[in-house]
Amino acid sequence: MKILIVDDSEDSLLLLKTILSKAGFQEITCVTSAREAFDILGVDDPEQAQFFDLIFMDVVMPEMDGIEACRIIKSTHHLQDIPVITITAKDEEKTLEAAFNAGAIDYITKSTGKVVLLARTRSVLSLKKERDQRKAREEDLLATTKLLEKANEQLRQQSLQDGLTGIANRRRFDEKLSEEWERGRRDQRPISLMMIDIDQFKLYNDEYGHLAGDDCLKEVAYLLSKRLKRPADLLSRYGGEEFAVLLPETDLNGAWDVAEELRTEVEQAGIFHAKLAYHEVVTISLGVSAIIPGLNNTTNDLLKQADEALYRAKSNGRNRVETFLTLEKE
Amino acid sequence: MFDSNEDSRRFKVKVDSDLEELIPGFLENRRNDIQLIKDYLELNDFENISALGHTMKGVGGGYGFDEISEIGWEIEQAAKNSDQKTIEKQLERLQYFLDHVQIEWE
Repeated sequence: MKILIVDDSEDSLLLLKTILSKAGFQEITCVTSAREAFDILGVDDPEQAQFFDLIFMDVVMPEMDGIEACRIIKSTHHLQDIPVITITAKDEEKTLEAAFNAGAIDYITKSTGKVVLLARTRSVLSLKKERDQRKAREEDLLATTKLLEKANEQLRQQSLQDGLTGIANRRRFDEKLSEEWERGRRDQRPISLMMIDIDQFKLYNDEYGHLAGDDCLKEVAYLLSKRLKRPADLLSRYGGEEFAVLLPETDLNGAWDVAEELRTEVEQAGIFHAKLAYHEVVTISLGVSAIIPGLNNTTNDLLKQADEALYRAKSNGRNRVETFLTLEKE
Repeated sequence: MFDSNEDSRRFKVKVDSDLEELIPGFLENRRNDIQLIKDYLELNDFENISALGHTMKGVGGGYGFDEISEIGWEIEQAAKNSDQKTIEKQLERLQYFLDHVQIEWE
């Protein structure tokens, strides 16, 4: 336990220091003015601060008195938890109120006997120790809470992510679809959806094995995500070898352009696929639909229309984009 | 000036043996105080005399010397009234006490 004594009287300093050190308190620092105390405590420069568990502060000192010094210590952030016991002369009890107002925890008089002095010192120190421990526990708790929050956020992210490809999963897609649907309905802006399927993926798997199939899925996911530039666009793995792309505030023509870019991107990547009758590399088919959300339609309509368009892309020969044309007729 | 029966009680002081090594220095400081106060009297500097009396009052009791505390209080009060006579009387009292004090360690 480190103790600082501030007193301009040498006799007083020696007396206190002797009583405390005979009682086993070995780390005692004595200074004779508030200014010296401030230097040691780092009032102006916290980097230079020495740490103390208790300060004894004489009240009557030349230059700055102990009340003012106590007030400054108590309003200095890194010092405010250090208990201050003021030292007063016999008849200065009227100054005690000022001392307590300045933040002193207790007082002794210059003629306080050894027994009382040591009892008060020990009780203030044990209070300090309890406070420090409680503070440490609170800090631990805070740190643990932060870790938990971080872990929770990670879990939440993971629960919305496809494990294999790292892109959004079906759950995230469903969430985003209802969010964007609501927004589109409010703003009366079109929303577009692309359903994407890797052509003849079963043949690819059969030929090269499931591990190669997984690599192919990852590669296609990467190629698609690379092409999508707007932050609001969402690429997700919809299931198996099927992907879905949500394009908020995009009409059918805009969506068709993006779809065509995606198709070209995958084709030009040149992932070798020996089992295709019509081509030598992996291709995708895309079905595109667009709707202005309203009271007469639902997200299901958008999904169904994109599915229908995808079906047509497949049956019209694969490696192509088809749109749900009836929308344009309406 | 002092009654001799009174003396033996007044000058026997019980002091905590923990403080044994401090006492010679403490008493020496009080002898120095006497000279200091005399010097201040020459200069009519009652403010410093009052401060010295205040300190004496404070530390006297702490070391177990209530007599010194009392003298300190008297000097502090007298200095506030610029009462040279009382101060000189108290200095004699202090000198006498320092010359006759007997310490019992406990």
